[in-house]
Amino acid sequence: MRRAFLGEFEEIVLLVVAACPTEAYGVNVWEDVQQQAGRSITMSAVHATLYRLEEKGFLSSVMGGATAERGGRRKRFFTLTALGVRSLQEIQEIRSRLWQAIPQGKFQLITG
Amino acid sequence: MTNETQKTDSPPRWADWLLERCCAPHLLEDVQGDLHEVFYKRMGQVGVAKARREFAVAVLHYINPFFRRHKPTHYSSPASADSSLLTISMLRNYLKIALRTLAHNKAYSVINVVGLSIGLAAAMLIMLYTKDEVSYDRFHANNPNLYRITSRELTPAGKLEHVEGNTGHFQGPKFSAGIPEIQSFVRFKAERKDIKQGTEVKSQEVFVTDSSFFSVFTFPLLSGNPKTALTQPRSVVISADMAQKQFGTTDALGKTILFRDSYDEKSGFEPYTVTGVAQKCPQNSSIKFEALIPMMVSREEMADNNNWFNIFQNTFVVINPQTSHREGGIRAVEAKMNQIYRADAQSAIKSMAEQFGFKSKVEYALQPFTDMHLSKDLPASNGLVDESNPMFSYILSGIALFILLIACINFVNLTVARSLKRAKEIGVRKVVGGGRLQLTLQFLGESFLLCFGAFILAIVLVELVLPTFNQLANKSLALSYLFDVRLVLGYTGLFLVTGFLAGFYPALVLSSYNPVETLYSRFTLSGKNYLQKSLVVLQFALASFLIIATLTIQSQFNYLTTMDLGYDDKQVISIDKSNLKRSEAKLLTEELLKDPNIVAVAPKNGGQWGTVAKINGETQLSFTYETVAPAYLPLFKIPILKGRNFSPEMPSDSTHSVLVNETFVKKAGWKNPIGQLVNFWYDKNATYTVVGVVKDHHYNALNQKIGPQLFTMKPGNSYGKAFIKIKPNTETASLQHIEKTFKKLFPINPYSYKFMEQENLKRYESEAKWKQIMLFGALLTIFISCIGLFGLATLSAERRTKEIGIRKVLGASVSSIIQLLSTAFLKLVGFSFVFAFPAAYYAIDQWLENYPYRINISAWTFAIAALSAILIAFLTVSFQSLRAALMNPIKSLRAE
Repeated sequence: MRRAFLGEFEEIVLLVVAACPTEAYGVNVWEDVQQQAGRSITMSAVHATLYRLEEKGFLSSVMGGATAERGGRRKRFFTLTALGVRSLQEIQEIRSRLWQAIPQGKFQLITG
Repeated sequence: MTNETQKTDSPPRWADWLLERCCAPHLLEDVQGDLHEVFYKRMGQVGVAKARREFAVAVLHYINPFFRRHKPTHYSSPASADSSLLTISMLRNYLKIALRTLAHNKAYSVINVVGLSIGLAAAMLIMLYTKDEVSYDRFHANNPNLYRITSRELTPAGKLEHVEGNTGHFQGPKFSAGIPEIQSFVRFKAERKDIKQGTEVKSQEVFVTDSSFFSVFTFPLLSGNPKTALTQPRSVVISADMAQKQFGTTDALGKTILFRDSYDEKSGFEPYTVTGVAQKCPQNSSIKFEALIPMMVSREEMADNNNWFNIFQNTFVVINPQTSHREGGIRAVEAKMNQIYRADAQSAIKSMAEQFGFKSKVEYALQPFTDMHLSKDLPASNGLVDESNPMFSYILSGIALFILLIACINFVNLTVARSLKRAKEIGVRKVVGGGRLQLTLQFLGESFLLCFGAFILAIVLVELVLPTFNQLANKSLALSYLFDVRLVLGYTGLFLVTGFLAGFYPALVLSSYNPVETLYSRFTLSGKNYLQKSLVVLQFALASFLIIATLTIQSQFNYLTTMDLGYDDKQVISIDKSNLKRSEAKLLTEELLKDPNIVAVAPKNGGQWGTVAKINGETQLSFTYETVAPAYLPLFKIPILKGRNFSPEMPSDSTHSVLVNETFVKKAGWKNPIGQLVNFWYDKNATYTVVGVVKDHHYNALNQKIGPQLFTMKPGNSYGKAFIKIKPNTETASLQHIEKTFKKLFPINPYSYKFMEQENLKRYESEAKWKQIMLFGALLTIFISCIGLFGLATLSAERRTKEIGIRKVLGASVSSIIQLLSTAFLKLVGFSFVFAFPAAYYAIDQWLENYPYRINISAWTFAIAALSAILIAFLTVSFQSLRAALMNPIKSLRAE
């Protein structure tokens, strides 16, 4: 079985969820993603990505308790699944392997 | 609409609306929550207007297929409750609630269960009846290859004149010999024989049949060899009952029974050897025999070609199974039969045309054996018993359906009407998450529970009324017949259909209530409840239809039984003596008249004869041919309108004179009937002169028109019975004298007597049966309709308790409240007549068409039916209305 593909934006969102110090839900993930990416991103893009990641099995979600500040609507909290964690670690490994494979002084040569 | 116009501190409403439209429900809550959270945050940072704008823009980004068609795959929303639909605890709760509601409303429950069970019981009985009717003669192993040879007469122009179920000696053997597809045939003829039982002589019906009888039909023998039992002359196969009666044991093989031919004066008793004892014939058999003797046809009879036209018995054949199953196979056999007939009967056809002017064409056909029982044109007659009118089954089924329908209507009406009380329960169920499907199932389940109770009660009812029903329907059905696979399936089907019919509509209505309305008590059903009303109308239309039918049958029956027959049948006894010779008749008369209680004695031919003669030269007229003595007409007080009666003083009367009735004169077209000639051309041109005209009288049952009738004293015609007129209130003494005289004069003839008046009443047995069945049907229908109406009235009075209380406080009288509560129902009953009357008029008019002598449909019948329906309805409703009207208003108004 081919593993589900993880796109660049998806990877960022997944990492943000992983890095989130509190419980991750739509609004704080959105804010963090914008902060990390340094550009404006629509909330719908974040929502769609979160749901897609959940569908792919990288994230799982539970509805939180009722809240006061948003018209009583509940938040959906996302956490990483084991698959999500493994995928992030694999990507990290591939990257570090590749980083180590870069011959020393090559970057200095290019950037001059 | 623009968002700038409403400067509130909430997101633009249209954007929210748009989001709710575009976002899948399971995502909506957190998406919307997140958006709102951001909005409030931004409002603090950049102000309301900017935040609103940003919110709207953000929402627009959600308009895409991803959010719209996003179905839950790995996670499900906790709101779906379908999984709890059929859990054990829920079912237990349903059952508990159902039983509690039933126990809480006892009157309602009883009405529903009793009404339904009566309906079901009626339907069950009718199913039993029709099953029995349809099962007639199906037990023979040779079915469906068993056929009866029938024939039809066509005029030379090809018009159908007459169909005939009887055949003669020829058809069976000749067709069977010429057509290989006919495997075997059996002829079957009823005869009466005198039988010696100890010292007594009794008249016994025996059947004369071919030796193939037991191979064609399936009648198991208790003892004896079915193949050879009927091969030897002077052998007899008797039923177990007969053996028991005759010998006191069923082990009768080889014993002898003495039989004597009733009609042949010279014959004496002859011994017949018992060669077989048969089991009792099944109840649903057209052939029911006590004794069978072999048929012996003499060679001379088979040689006389004219016997093609001598028909008097039934002939059955077994057709090769392949042929009878093949399409058109039977047609082919019929064609071959007619071929054989035309070739073989040539000379007979010619001589019939010459001698009797019989020019009709005869065609032979085959009738399936199992069709006989319910056939109208070719009934099971002439030795075959229990012929039945299929109309009977139809009408009975109709009535059963009526009753079942009305009971179901009650159920629907009461459940819907009473549902008001359960509106709160439904509301609460819906609020805590009961789905519509769940509610529907709950109410359907309750309906099935009630139905089940009704079903059990119905079986008990059937068991109770079965004896009465058997008597009415002339059957011997038993409850054990119920335990037949197909019937059980039928009953299960009936149960399911009834439960579904009765429960479906209420379930649908109840489950559709809006919980908010019901819980706030804003809910009323008092508006236009068209369905409930039309169901009541339908019920009473059916009930009044049956009342009218019953009344009509009743009055037609009375008309038939009390109508003046044109002769006096009071204190007239008839005794049978086959082949009563003139000298014997004279002796009998003299002996009988020695008793002063006996007024007159008049011999007559036995049975009813018919013949044909030429009048006015060439015209042929067929008529009833009565051979009588001069005393006959005075005995019955039949008036002679013109001319004179036969006279003992004129010996030539017996050879030259006849009397005719008025219809005869009319048919003959005579202006001056006295002195006209009647020519019996086929009897050596014997010509008789009409000497008198007799007033028309109903010599037949009243469902037959009076036909031409001719009286003769011709010495060649033998008498078969004698009528004896006695003085009133001397029955016992006279009968003793008659019996003594008869036994003295004719010691070897069986003696039996009948009272003419009773015999005449017996002719209307079928009408009497109709009357009773209709009466039962009408009573049941009215009863069930009434308990339904009673239930509705109760509920309506309950619903309006407060209204009545307030009316009473304000000074309304008891009568005005009764009127208020009753008129609505009475109006419905009145309205039902609009449908019932035309239908009833049509139906009874059709029924009365069957009778040449009938009552006219009178408006009174309808008036009485209407009045009684209204009265019954009023009494039913007023009981509840009265109770409601008499109630103390304090009680009804105190509690709120």
